[in-house]
Amino acid sequence: MRIHPLTGLAAAGSAAVITTAAASLPLSVAVSAAALALSVAAGTARRMLPAAAAVLLPLGLSLLIVHGLSFPEGLTVLAQWGPVRVTAEGLSFALERAAQVSAVVLILLACSFSLSVPDLVAALSARGIRGRFGFVLASTLTLLPAIAARAERIRQAQESRGLVIRRGILHRAAAFRLQAVPLVLSLVEDAGTRAAALEARGFSSTGPRTSYRIVPDSPGQRFLRLVLVLAGVAAVAVRLWHYAGGS
Amino acid sequence: MSSPSLTLPSPAPAAVRRRRLLEILGALAIAATYVYLVLNQPADITGGPGSAAALVALSGFLAGAVLLIVAVLPTLPASTVVLIPVALVLNIVLGQFVGSTLVPFYLDAIGTVLIAVLAGPAAGAATGALSSIVWSFFNPTVLPFAAGAALIGCLAGLAARYGLFRRFYLAPVAGFATGIIGGVVSAPVAAFVFGGTSGVATGAIVSAFRSMGDTLLAAITKQALISDLMDKAIVFTVVAVLVYALPRRASRQFPFVRRHRVLAGKAAAPEATRPDATDATVQGPGQAS
Repeated sequence: MRIHPLTGLAAAGSAAVITTAAASLPLSVAVSAAALALSVAAGTARRMLPAAAAVLLPLGLSLLIVHGLSFPEGLTVLAQWGPVRVTAEGLSFALERAAQVSAVVLILLACSFSLSVPDLVAALSARGIRGRFGFVLASTLTLLPAIAARAERIRQAQESRGLVIRRGILHRAAAFRLQAVPLVLSLVEDAGTRAAALEARGFSSTGPRTSYRIVPDSPGQRFLRLVLVLAGVAAVAVRLWHYAGGS
Repeated sequence: MSSPSLTLPSPAPAAVRRRRLLEILGALAIAATYVYLVLNQPADITGGPGSAAALVALSGFLAGAVLLIVAVLPTLPASTVVLIPVALVLNIVLGQFVGSTLVPFYLDAIGTVLIAVLAGPAAGAATGALSSIVWSFFNPTVLPFAAGAALIGCLAGLAARYGLFRRFYLAPVAGFATGIIGGVVSAPVAAFVFGGTSGVATGAIVSAFRSMGDTLLAAITKQALISDLMDKAIVFTVVAVLVYALPRRASRQFPFVRRHRVLAGKAAAPEATRPDATDATVQGPGQAS
């Protein structure tokens, strides 16, 4: 049986919420490992890992700089140069935070990279707010490569007209303007044409719609989604209740 | 353009009231979360992973952003809805590039501010929030900043509505003001959810303030004030350059631009006072927060 895209999203979302609520290092590491295993099993690891690294490496480095080099609350000083104090508490705080954020990022990326976008849009495209959100999501994901390609073509065209990017901030700004203005202008023009075409096909209509793509769903999955959402809410509630009771 | 349709029924007053209520609730959720976080400064922030504070920040800001989207998205005309994906792509492409380099800026709001100037504060707020949600499919760490992004879109729209884009030198000033408010609202998210910043250069600034003995929230707020001020001033200037470079035919196709005379130049176009252009006047979250 195929997994409904909303079930996948609910599973990833509630795993992320529960990991944040639990805030325990072993759970964070376990969730990260599970996310990696899932993405290897789904065959998306090759695309997901670079995306995860692009997010997590700067974040981890930043956490290390912020807490590793200066943690005024820390008592166990490991090394000190002038104002820089490396403390054990700072390093362990940075490690815990990095593990927690990594778990959330990895599980959400594992979900979004194995999701079939057409299925998700078909599942969302009831009318009204869900349809509009589905349109924005699908349209962005399909426009990304197209717009990147168009930006590249514009750069080539301007270069063939003699655009040379010299050093210095003013030259760079002028070069940016030469490439950005045609890009934005053509995008705004296109959007106007697309709006007229969509409106002519009843984009804003609130009547019933027919979808040619049917995403299989089952009562079991619907129930599972409900359970997952409730589990996430319960984790938040338990954690906040403990917090309020403890302080 | 495609504002009120001639063939489709217009929404009932009850639906309009319900959307206005959702908008107010969304703005209240964002404002209340911020006030709670700043007043209580949850004590467990450095005593251990401050997950209760992280949960309050996450759920409050996200719920507010989602309420705003639910309230605003159905009211936007098709011409604006079609521009939103374009704005998201501009945000993502430019933000992804700058975010990973060693500059303490983000430049991830050019598309949002562009929409806000062309289509108004409500469209700007929805674009900001949607941008964070869609971008989180590639980079989940931007999801908690949805409320801040919505606020920036709304403020940019208000700046355009009250004529700050009519004089070229006023655009960076409006950017400064937006940057102050946006930075102050986003700082608790960075502090409580991530315990730091997502870039190396911004992290170095926070570390410098921390080694002077600031609390984490104070250090990140100061860093946000430095980075966001410059960042939004640059973004507003870039958007002003772009909007004025567009031919009049392209920019005047937006009812918001015509009605509020957003751009300088000979106004008195006959449609400037046309009463039937009714979209995008819904006010976003800026007034409450």
